[in-house]
Amino acid sequence: MKLAVFWGCRILTSQYAYEMSVREVFKKLNVELVDLSEANCCGDPIKSVKDSAANYLANRVLAIANATGLDGLLVPCNRCHFTISEAKDVMSKDKNLNKKIESLLKEEGLAYNSHIKIWHVIDFLHNFVGLDSIKKTAQKPLNGLRLATHVGCQIIRYSDLGRVDDAENPRKLDELVEALGAKTVDYAEKLDCCGAALMYGHPNSALSLAGAKIKALQNLGVDGLVISCPDCGLMFDFRQKDAAATVGAKTSLPVIYYTQLLGLALNIEMEKLGLHLNQSPVEQLLMKIST
Amino acid sequence: MGLTDLMSMAKPNMDARENFLSKLSSREFVNCFQCLKCTSGCTALKLLELKPHEIVKLVNLGFVDELASSDIIWTCVTCLKCVQRCPQKASPYHIIMVLRNMAVEKEAQIPEEYLKTVSRILETGLAEAPQEVTTRKMEVFDRKSLNLPKITFPRESFQVAFMKIMEEK
Repeated sequence: MKLAVFWGCRILTSQYAYEMSVREVFKKLNVELVDLSEANCCGDPIKSVKDSAANYLANRVLAIANATGLDGLLVPCNRCHFTISEAKDVMSKDKNLNKKIESLLKEEGLAYNSHIKIWHVIDFLHNFVGLDSIKKTAQKPLNGLRLATHVGCQIIRYSDLGRVDDAENPRKLDELVEALGAKTVDYAEKLDCCGAALMYGHPNSALSLAGAKIKALQNLGVDGLVISCPDCGLMFDFRQKDAAATVGAKTSLPVIYYTQLLGLALNIEMEKLGLHLNQSPVEQLLMKIST
Repeated sequence: MGLTDLMSMAKPNMDARENFLSKLSSREFVNCFQCLKCTSGCTALKLLELKPHEIVKLVNLGFVDELASSDIIWTCVTCLKCVQRCPQKASPYHIIMVLRNMAVEKEAQIPEEYLKTVSRILETGLAEAPQEVTTRKMEVFDRKSLNLPKITFPRESFQVAFMKIMEEK
C-alpha cells in the first residue's frame, strides 16, 4: 500500500512528534508514505482573507498529489483535511472558479484531479487498516490505562461534506484507543474546541478555551488525553501551562498523539515516536505503561 | 471596533446586502428563522458574546458594512458547529468568512497575523516558519537533528500564481 502524504504547515514546522510517529507507525503497518514535493499551505488561514486564493492553495495541493500518480492522499492535520475537502467540493460546484484555478495550475504544469481519495489518520486506521488488524499487530497492550479522547472539530464537521466520523457522537478515535487495551471515558466537554483558530486574533481567549478543557479533564482524573490534530497539539500540549494559567489552574495532563500511543503498543522506541518532544508531562503516562 | 458602537447611527444598505449575496455561493441564509441553534452551541459565545443568529439577521437587514468593520467577526473559532446544526442551511460560519473577506477588501482593521501569513506564504509557500523545539529536559531539536526530511519549498512559479489570484478583483 502506497499513499501520498500532505503534512501542512504546523506539523512540518513544530509538531514534529506527530510527523515522526505517523512515519514510524505507517512503516510498521506496511504503508509507504510518499511526501509531496514543493507543497504549499493548504489555504486555511487565507479563507479569512480571500476565499478564491484559499481554494487555489487547497487545490494546488491536490494537483501536486496528482503528480505522484497515487490515488490516495493522507492529510494528518484536521484543518488541512477540512480546507482541502471543502475546496474540492467548491471546485465541483463553482464552474467559474474551477476554470480560473485550473488555468493557474496549468501555468505551473500542474493538473487538478478530483478523484484522489483524502484520508485522515483516524479514518485510514479505523476504516482501512481496521480495528482487528490493529488489535493483532499490537504487541504491547495498554491495559489498565484510562484515557480521554479529543478528536477535534474539523474532521467531524460538517457532515454534508462527508467527514471522518459522526459530528455529534464521534467514536472512531475511542475505538482505536480501546483496540490497544486502554479504556476511554465519556465526558461532557468532549466536543469542546481547543481554540487554536483564535490564536491569530484573540490569543488569550483561545488559550482559555484550551485551559477550560484541560482543567475539566484533570478533574476527571484520566491518565492522559489522546489527540490527532497538530492544532490541538499546539493548544493542549505545547501551550498547556499558558492555557491552564488563563483559567487559574495548575495542570499536569499528559497529552499524546494517537499515533504515538499506537507506536508504543507496536513496541516502537520512544525516541522514534518523538515522545521527548511533547511539552506536557507524558512521563506520567509512560510510567504506567512500562509497569 | 465593537458592533454596538458601529450600529448606533447605522442605516440599512440593500446594495451592500446584494453584494454580499453575490459572494455567498450556494448558501441559503435568507431562510434563517432565528431558531438560535447556532448561538446556543457557539464556542465563541461563551467568551466573546458572538451571537451567530444576530449576525445572520443583521446581514439580512442590510447592515453588512457595519459587520465587516466590527471586530466581532474575528472572534469566530471556526469549530463549524453552527454549519452542522443549522436546520435551514444558513451557515453562520460561511457568512462570517464572507464578511472577513469584505473587511480585507475595504481595508478595515483586521488581526495583523492574517496579513503576516499572506506574506509568509508568498515568501516560502508555508504559513509558518520551521521552529526549534526545546524538550522537557531542555534539549533543543530541529528537523535536521530529528532526522526528518528536508522541506522542499515551492518554486517561483507558485509565487506568481498566488500573487495573481490574491490581486484579482
